[in-house]
Amino acid sequence: MQRREFLSSALALAAASTLPAARAEVVSGGQPWEPGQANLPALPAPRQGGLAYFTQAEFDTAGALADRLIPADELSIGGKEAGCATFIDRQLAGDYGRGATLYRLGRFVKGTPEQGTQSPLTPAERWRKGLVAIDAYCQKTFSKTFVQLDGAQQDELLRGMESGKLELGSEVETRELFEQILANVREGFFADPIYGGNKDMASWKMIGFPGARYDFRDVIGKKGQKLTIIPTSLIDNTL
Amino acid sequence: MIARHRKTLAAVALLSLSGAIGLYGAYGVADAADGIVQPGQQSGNSQGVQAPATQPQEDPAVARGRYVAIAGDCAACHTDPHQGKPFAGGYALETPFGKLLASNITSDKATGIGDWSEEQFTRAVREGKGRHGENLYPAMPYNAYVKVSDQDMHDLWAYMQTVPAVNNQVVSNQLPFPFNIRLMMMGWNLLFFDKTPFKPVTEASADLNRGAYLVQGLGHCAACHTEKNFLGGDKNDRFLQGGDLAGWHAPEITGNRYAGVGGWTSEQIVQYLKTGSNDIAVASGPMAEAVTNSTQHMSNQDLNAIAAYLQSLPGSKATKPQPLTAVQQAMKQGANVYSANCSACHNSDGKGINQLAAGLGNNPAVQAANPQSLTTTVLQGGRGAVTLGNPTSGAMPSFAWKLSDQQIASVLTYIRNTWGNAAPAVDAHQVAQTRKDLKLPAQMSADGSAR
Repeated sequence: MQRREFLSSALALAAASTLPAARAEVVSGGQPWEPGQANLPALPAPRQGGLAYFTQAEFDTAGALADRLIPADELSIGGKEAGCATFIDRQLAGDYGRGATLYRLGRFVKGTPEQGTQSPLTPAERWRKGLVAIDAYCQKTFSKTFVQLDGAQQDELLRGMESGKLELGSEVETRELFEQILANVREGFFADPIYGGNKDMASWKMIGFPGARYDFRDVIGKKGQKLTIIPTSLIDNTL
Repeated sequence: MIARHRKTLAAVALLSLSGAIGLYGAYGVADAADGIVQPGQQSGNSQGVQAPATQPQEDPAVARGRYVAIAGDCAACHTDPHQGKPFAGGYALETPFGKLLASNITSDKATGIGDWSEEQFTRAVREGKGRHGENLYPAMPYNAYVKVSDQDMHDLWAYMQTVPAVNNQVVSNQLPFPFNIRLMMMGWNLLFFDKTPFKPVTEASADLNRGAYLVQGLGHCAACHTEKNFLGGDKNDRFLQGGDLAGWHAPEITGNRYAGVGGWTSEQIVQYLKTGSNDIAVASGPMAEAVTNSTQHMSNQDLNAIAAYLQSLPGSKATKPQPLTAVQQAMKQGANVYSANCSACHNSDGKGINQLAAGLGNNPAVQAANPQSLTTTVLQGGRGAVTLGNPTSGAMPSFAWKLSDQQIASVLTYIRNTWGNAAPAVDAHQVAQTRKDLKLPAQMSADGSAR
């Protein structure tokens, strides 16, 4: 069937079957919500001690990992200070950590890299097993935990995980684990501070991102000029 | 209805050949042609505007009476907006003195007014007396309806008798002691009820007199827009110069150019009443209901008459103060909050979007001495009036979770003193009080740590 034919017949079908019913909703009635109701960002409630998913040891290891992936330098604070571990902790306690939007009914077969992860593990489970495996490797090799290693040793381990030269054992897919850690640390560094990371909008200030604004019509014509837009976050009492 | 249904099917069959845009247009015309909507069909949701069944052989008195019921906005109280049957009552009116339930005024003999005589009905509407002569409470605006003409009362009665009977027993008086003693209203009537019928001003034009008749009588605009004394009586020397009701301030609507609508063209007033918004203001809150239920269905001639009359009123002595200057801390903070949160819809020049987002510059409601409506709107959000002319209208989200009391106070101070506006600053304590009164959540923490 030609594309044009398909489109016109689909339109006729839609007009004949669905539009009269849809009309009542489209033509009248205001917006589909009541004043006083707000769709708030969903944030899991922290448990005792302020953590939502991690144990304190896991939280410390996540912070150390974040600080090697995004070290403090002259451009910005590091991943640990920026709160990446807090961000990850909260995300793993919520829908993301539970893999709420992933197909997880199996069967699980190892795929090609293009097919993405084929693991039965949820992100939260992968983090937990991964941190156990990392510390087990560190104990075996250095008789220390990951947190106790010096920066060079930590970097060396991460490089090994990234390149695939280092295997953390049969319990975890090492490369997938590394990719997840890197992705989550980045997300924590750049997401809105309301989610626990990106302290004081450090990353946005570094790259000049204006943040949670939604109107740039006044500056859209200022091509090539320096714009001094104050970055703002969803909840921003510095405004 | 069957004929109309068939017509619809034919239209669909025809237009499926020519595409969706054509369809839309055709429906718009069909809706408009249906004419006056049955009053009392509005609810806050998507079933808002409904087209009535047209009755070819209808008694002209009934048709006129339906228009009187619309102009009087009887449905505002006597139809429960939450799935209530038209005029079946039961809607709770919160007054400063306690709760009153609007009565059932359908033609039901047992629980409505089906057994009433025309005299009893007329006396209830114009004099605030129940069927057996007992005093009604002035939540029923008989102090305004007293101005309704004999002809209109007669037509209204003709129409009310055609309203389908609904059996719904309503115990209207839910007031606490001593306000539940109806006899007390005798004193109230002596003090505040001016029984004078409407008197046209001979030297004024017919148009102006028609406007005065509608505004003072059926429209009962003063119920909200005139300040009340501590007993709930109108302060007649401040007629239509603005009034407070729970959570809202109904602004001045006289010819005062600063506080009222004196600076508007009559076209702007008519557009506002007809569609719920114009290029300056969007009707929201209680006024949105008034537009949806009542004014949108009034004739352009009547709306023009209302505009002419309102603008002829000299109004208050309120004049524009010196605007607060940008050096003040609140104005700086307000400008920052505005640019990050408000400008996407209301624009950096404060002009808003016609028929969607209120313009803020030169808008009397924005500069009203009492900023209550602004505070309420920012905290809980709002929905513009839904009308046949503007069927989806606009809406504003709640900012209670996003902004602090101080930020809301500052941004309101800012919009009240920018784009040619000038009005007193808004205090953060008032925002805090409104947040509490409306039971809205506190601002979320910036890093999501505390809930």
